[in-house]
Amino acid sequence: MSNQVIDLLQRLRQTALNKGLQALITYHEEDSYLMRFANSAISLNTNEHLISLDYIAFDGRKKVSYSMIADPTDFESMEKGLDILAEMLPHAQALSYDPTFPVYAKDVLDERAFDPALAALTNEERLAYFNTLAGSLESDDVKLSGIFSNGTTTTAQISTANEHVQYFRSTDAQVTAVLSSESLKWEVNAEQSAQKKSDLDAEGLHADLALLVKHYQEDEAVQLPVGKYTVVLGPAATAELGNIMTYYGMTGGALMQGYSFLKEEDQGKLLFSEKIHLVDDPREVEIYAQNADRFGLERKPFPLISEGRFQAFMWDQDSADEFGKTPTGHDVSHTSLVMDGGEKSVASLKDLLEMDRDEDILYVPYIHYMNVVNPTQGMVTGSSRFGALYLKKDGSVQVPYNVRLTQRFSDFFGERVQWMSKEQVAYNVSSSYGRRDPTALKVPRFICVKEIEISHSNPSY
Amino acid sequence: MREKIKEQIDLLKAKGAHYVDARWYPREDSNFLFMWNGNLKENNASSQSGMGVRVLYNGAWGFSASSDLTNPNAIFDRAFDNARIAAERVTFPIRLAEKEAITGSFTSPNQVDPFTVGLDQKVAFLQKMDAALNQTGVIQRFGMLEFVRKQIIFLDSEGSEIEKNIIEVFASIHAVGIDKDGGMQRRKYSPGRTGPTRGWESINETDFLANAERIVSELNQVLVAEDAPNGKMSVILLNGIMFLQTHETIGHALELDRILGYELSFAGGSFVRLEDFGKLRYGSEKLTARANALEPNSPGSFGFDDDGVPAQDNLLIDKGILVGAITGRQMVEEANAKAKKQIFEGSSGANRATSFYRVPIERMTNINIDPGTDGSLEDIIANTKYGVVLDGDKSWSIGSNREQFHFACDIGWLVEDGQKKQVVKNPTYRGETLPFYNSLSAVGDESTWNVHYVENCGKGAPNQIMQLGHGVPVCRFDNVQVGE
Repeated sequence: MSNQVIDLLQRLRQTALNKGLQALITYHEEDSYLMRFANSAISLNTNEHLISLDYIAFDGRKKVSYSMIADPTDFESMEKGLDILAEMLPHAQALSYDPTFPVYAKDVLDERAFDPALAALTNEERLAYFNTLAGSLESDDVKLSGIFSNGTTTTAQISTANEHVQYFRSTDAQVTAVLSSESLKWEVNAEQSAQKKSDLDAEGLHADLALLVKHYQEDEAVQLPVGKYTVVLGPAATAELGNIMTYYGMTGGALMQGYSFLKEEDQGKLLFSEKIHLVDDPREVEIYAQNADRFGLERKPFPLISEGRFQAFMWDQDSADEFGKTPTGHDVSHTSLVMDGGEKSVASLKDLLEMDRDEDILYVPYIHYMNVVNPTQGMVTGSSRFGALYLKKDGSVQVPYNVRLTQRFSDFFGERVQWMSKEQVAYNVSSSYGRRDPTALKVPRFICVKEIEISHSNPSY
Repeated sequence: MREKIKEQIDLLKAKGAHYVDARWYPREDSNFLFMWNGNLKENNASSQSGMGVRVLYNGAWGFSASSDLTNPNAIFDRAFDNARIAAERVTFPIRLAEKEAITGSFTSPNQVDPFTVGLDQKVAFLQKMDAALNQTGVIQRFGMLEFVRKQIIFLDSEGSEIEKNIIEVFASIHAVGIDKDGGMQRRKYSPGRTGPTRGWESINETDFLANAERIVSELNQVLVAEDAPNGKMSVILLNGIMFLQTHETIGHALELDRILGYELSFAGGSFVRLEDFGKLRYGSEKLTARANALEPNSPGSFGFDDDGVPAQDNLLIDKGILVGAITGRQMVEEANAKAKKQIFEGSSGANRATSFYRVPIERMTNINIDPGTDGSLEDIIANTKYGVVLDGDKSWSIGSNREQFHFACDIGWLVEDGQKKQVVKNPTYRGETLPFYNSLSAVGDESTWNVHYVENCGKGAPNQIMQLGHGVPVCRFDNVQVGE
């Protein structure tokens, strides 16, 4: 734990009190590194060190906020932010409900997801990792792209209610490596999520890429007819679907805004395959779990789907305040979703290719540009990308041009689920649009689903 | 600070850097208000300041940024170190297209700085909109206001020194209802940019109130409507979806970094190849598209890009033929070298970064479609045998090379034998980019054209959000798959 951060928060708290403010103060620090590859070269090597402060002031039913990217040595600017907040507060409109002001009952320190070795990773190590995963797979036509993003994220919170501080620190890495044909425009990828340095496995990514490149270079490319297919989803596809499904469907806010495909009376109903168990699990350090939310609620395993039955909506504090619900510890920047593994041992792409099959199978590792077509129906659309394979019943393999899937969540995770891998992998879904916020899901390596409709099929790569 | 930056640029040049630039943001302010069902859920002000430094060394980029400006030398040193390690893996040494050294400034045109408008006035506006939307059939109402004001100082090792002061205003209202089949439906309104400025004055309360009435009325028609038909027909795209069609399948497809493979690990590539410029029939002869960064009232106009190149108005597609791209200094040099001919004469001035802590990349400016000669919306409908008029960007999903797409809209109106008929709900359409634009059969005149802004275009690794615009007319496409 950084005493400097704690000291800063205590100083800001005292300043807020001196100004007569009832406030929540949040500190966010990121030390981010990103090495980006394109056309087999490092196209950008960057790092950012940013410190942000978020203030929320409360006055009865009035609430205003102020955020800043701060110079850590410029306390005057930080103090000015509190002045701005104080100026805004009288002009705020009172809410129609009583917002909860956070009062921390104890200090919280959670550095379980921090690994000093990953935090200290060097430029040379990032480059060596990429050189290893690429191996000899590049050529005049086959080019390497990708990113190696890693960093350290520190968040800390204090409220003017007392001197207790919540402090979280984690390290994360997100690796995406793409090999693509410049002439044919096919592209395959391999990805990795890491919380500690020892998670990094360049050789494993190399093996996946080598296998996919071999198939894309040697096997017949086909335009699949539109229609229904038995589809095996890779971890990227499963994680993105799971992430969007919970965001749109399983939060109290989405329910009240009318965006959820689930209703309050659905709680307890069998709506998914009995093979599906989905839990938000703050014990899972590998996927950057935190043990308390922003309002100081202890986070505990929160089942969302158990044996196919939808269990409950996640309520953040503000939605709970407004709609008279009990908050569930979900005032967090990211959840830690875990989908349990299934009954079949299929741990790698090689295993999938080698397993006996009595029907043709379309392997969809990744769904590109997924979007919700109809929220009430839970219908999403997206296109296959990055190494789809068509595994023929006779044991041969074809390379399908990308296809579009437009289906409901209940199609992907409902009674059409055939089998799921026992083995799970962490898949990193972090975006870097705003501040660093490492987010990952733990999902089965593969999920096989029958009767998934392909509505469009590209005529070429 | 400017002198310190110049000193550091000179120091890195002396150490062997080929090129150095710095973007110093003394201050960027924003203000976001969000009212939901009468409750002011978000009332946020924010500020940031810092510096980003880009260094080109031995053909490779290094970048570093920090909000800690007590020791700016450290940012320059880290950027240089990052470039040095990047130079260990170079396949095509980066070169920058020529440009003039510029000393200049740009201030976005506005009459009223929104940061001088009191919070009370902004909240009152949202309250009025909330009251206007609070009608039968509406179960959720949203109003949003966002204001941005930033000062950017750009200096580079070629002698450019540019100051930009930019103000942006974004406003929208949304109404949500539940249809007769239990489905969520919505209509929203964000104004097209018609005036010469883009300050607080661009929020016209009378116009918003009229449009609040319109979207509530349209929403109530959607709530009792039948589903849109399924099948091949004409689609007439109003501005509220045509801007997004243009954005996704012309704008992104013609970003030169995507064409050259620089976005393959995230956003994707493009079906366009270098040999296509000057030859590819992108669309019918009715399609003329341009990147016009000189529109006065749009966030896609910024004076100078973050390479220090002046904003321009360039043709992208001329009567259906692909002729241009969205470019910056690095990419035009690489494209010309790879094509072994001069496709591009220089940067089109479209390299922009979202903030001081991101590196500039090719971004859309105002990707516009020229008005056509097929008359008003009513004229186009009158000349349509069978189809659907579509509006509202409910959902969009595009293939990784921008070769195909799927859109869902908020509302549709059937058209039969030249007559606009009943409203239909849940309309979707999909297609392949080139056949789609080649089926463009009618382009509306000036009366149908306006500039629609985009405040959240995502691209890049690390990710960046950018603001831009699209001036588009109403367009009709034939034989399009509707439904699914």
